[in-house]
Amino acid sequence: MLLESKENLTIDKEEFKPLIVAFCCNWCSYAGADLAGTSRLNYPANIRIIKVPCSCRVNPNFVLRAFQNGADGVVIAGCHPGDCHYSTGNYFARRRLTLFTSLLNYIGIESERLKVDWISAAEANKFATVMNDVLEKVHKLGPNRKLRDVRWKR
Amino acid sequence: MEEMISKMKKIAYEDLSTKKVDRVIGFGKGDFIYEANPIFISNLEEVDLLVWDLFCVNNLSKYLINELKNYQKIGIFLKGCDSLGFNQLVKDNKVDPDNVIVYGVPCEGMIDPNKLSKKNLLKDLRYLRRVDEKLIIVTKQGEKELIAKDYEYDKCLKCKHPNPVVYSELLESNTLRNSILTDDFEEVDRIEDMNSEERYEYWSEQFSKCIRCYACRNICPVCSCDKCIFDNLDIGVSGKAKVDSEDQFFHIVRAYHVAGRCVDCGECSRVCPESIAIDKLNRKIIKDITEIYGEYDAGLNPSKSSVLVNYKLEDFDPFETSKGGK
Ligand code: SF4
Ligand code: SF4
Ligand code: FES
Repeated sequence: MLLESKENLTIDKEEFKPLIVAFCCNWCSYAGADLAGTSRLNYPANIRIIKVPCSCRVNPNFVLRAFQNGADGVVIAGCHPGDCHYSTGNYFARRRLTLFTSLLNYIGIESERLKVDWISAAEANKFATVMNDVLEKVHKLGPNRKLRDVRWKR
Repeated sequence: MEEMISKMKKIAYEDLSTKKVDRVIGFGKGDFIYEANPIFISNLEEVDLLVWDLFCVNNLSKYLINELKNYQKIGIFLKGCDSLGFNQLVKDNKVDPDNVIVYGVPCEGMIDPNKLSKKNLLKDLRYLRRVDEKLIIVTKQGEKELIAKDYEYDKCLKCKHPNPVVYSELLESNTLRNSILTDDFEEVDRIEDMNSEERYEYWSEQFSKCIRCYACRNICPVCSCDKCIFDNLDIGVSGKAKVDSEDQFFHIVRAYHVAGRCVDCGECSRVCPESIAIDKLNRKIIKDITEIYGEYDAGLNPSKSSVLVNYKLEDFDPFETSKGGK
């Protein structure tokens, strides 16, 4: 009983820490994240990076499931158009995600919560900037409740 | 109408008896006068069951997928909107056009029994006929003359292709028919004008009505995967639980899955027992594609590939921010 009430207290006091899920392509953005880490650049710890082979591997289902199961924001990052390891993957991804982000927006998800960007392996700075930027915006919006699965527990 | 029925019977009889086709897909009468159902004919005796009236609204093209597994050559009656679906099936490699003979049927617009029922015209309906823009209807109470447009399906009012866009034989010269609701992105615009909270409320309310009967998926000529993630619960992608998030998941994935391929035939909204505004999702995507990638022509040209399986180097890029960080 005592333990429980203690826990509740801490949660109440706890400031909102957004949870951001970042899908990063193996060849550029993930390497960019790596570089940001080794260069000791500051980027927020509440970003959960999921490595995907290529930005075009990100199925919209992944994004929806992320939002349903706790994400307050989702980032999809890939190589710059023209630089994809598989030559054309991100050109396809660009079209798909253009339509998909617009569709989610149409359904009522704030566009700040779903961010797509191109980050190369050398752009550690950009990686940190983009992540900080997303975090800031999501923080301003507050916790996400949209699309959330009622059965989900933090 | 009677003329058309005899043409249909004649061509079906001829092609079946000369073995040009071994199966014919057309319309037959249902249990009620306001029902027409798909029928599948292999025997010459059954040819007489073919009908053509103001309730032949079903898109028959999708039945080809299954029927072609058992039959070599199929003759099928397709209206304008059905022929768009047929083209898309060909493009998606679901149907080999060499195995199909399309009998094109120009369509004047179909009548929605629900609209008749709202005016209490359905119960004692005996007979119904269309003369140009007029609807002659005979009930127990006698004959009445109505304006046809008032009773057409919504999707028919918006129809852009009343005449088949592809056919082997055309059964009648083309109808001249104008759609009256020309600016049909208007509904999409209205939703776009809301703020994101309102939009979310609107769609949540729509989606939560869904009973997941999958009628919208089953009727759709474009939703043609052999195995659908929504039938395959073991892979853990989709859940059957009746919670908002699963309904949202279904609807977003369904709409996105037909992105660039949806032929805007309107069948999904028509069959939905909960009257969910499915078409407003499809049309949003169509609107985006039109604005960003140029004219939308799914179903019109079977040799041109769909928007999402294609790209251009100079495509519009809404994501590019500055290169490099601070
Ligand atoms: S999604 Fe609806 S309108 Fe589009 S092709 Fe399928 S049934 Fe027709
Ligand atoms: S037809 Fe309507 S109720 Fe049935 S699954 Fe589709 S949207 Fe849901
Ligand atoms: S490998 Fe990075 S986007 Fe394709």
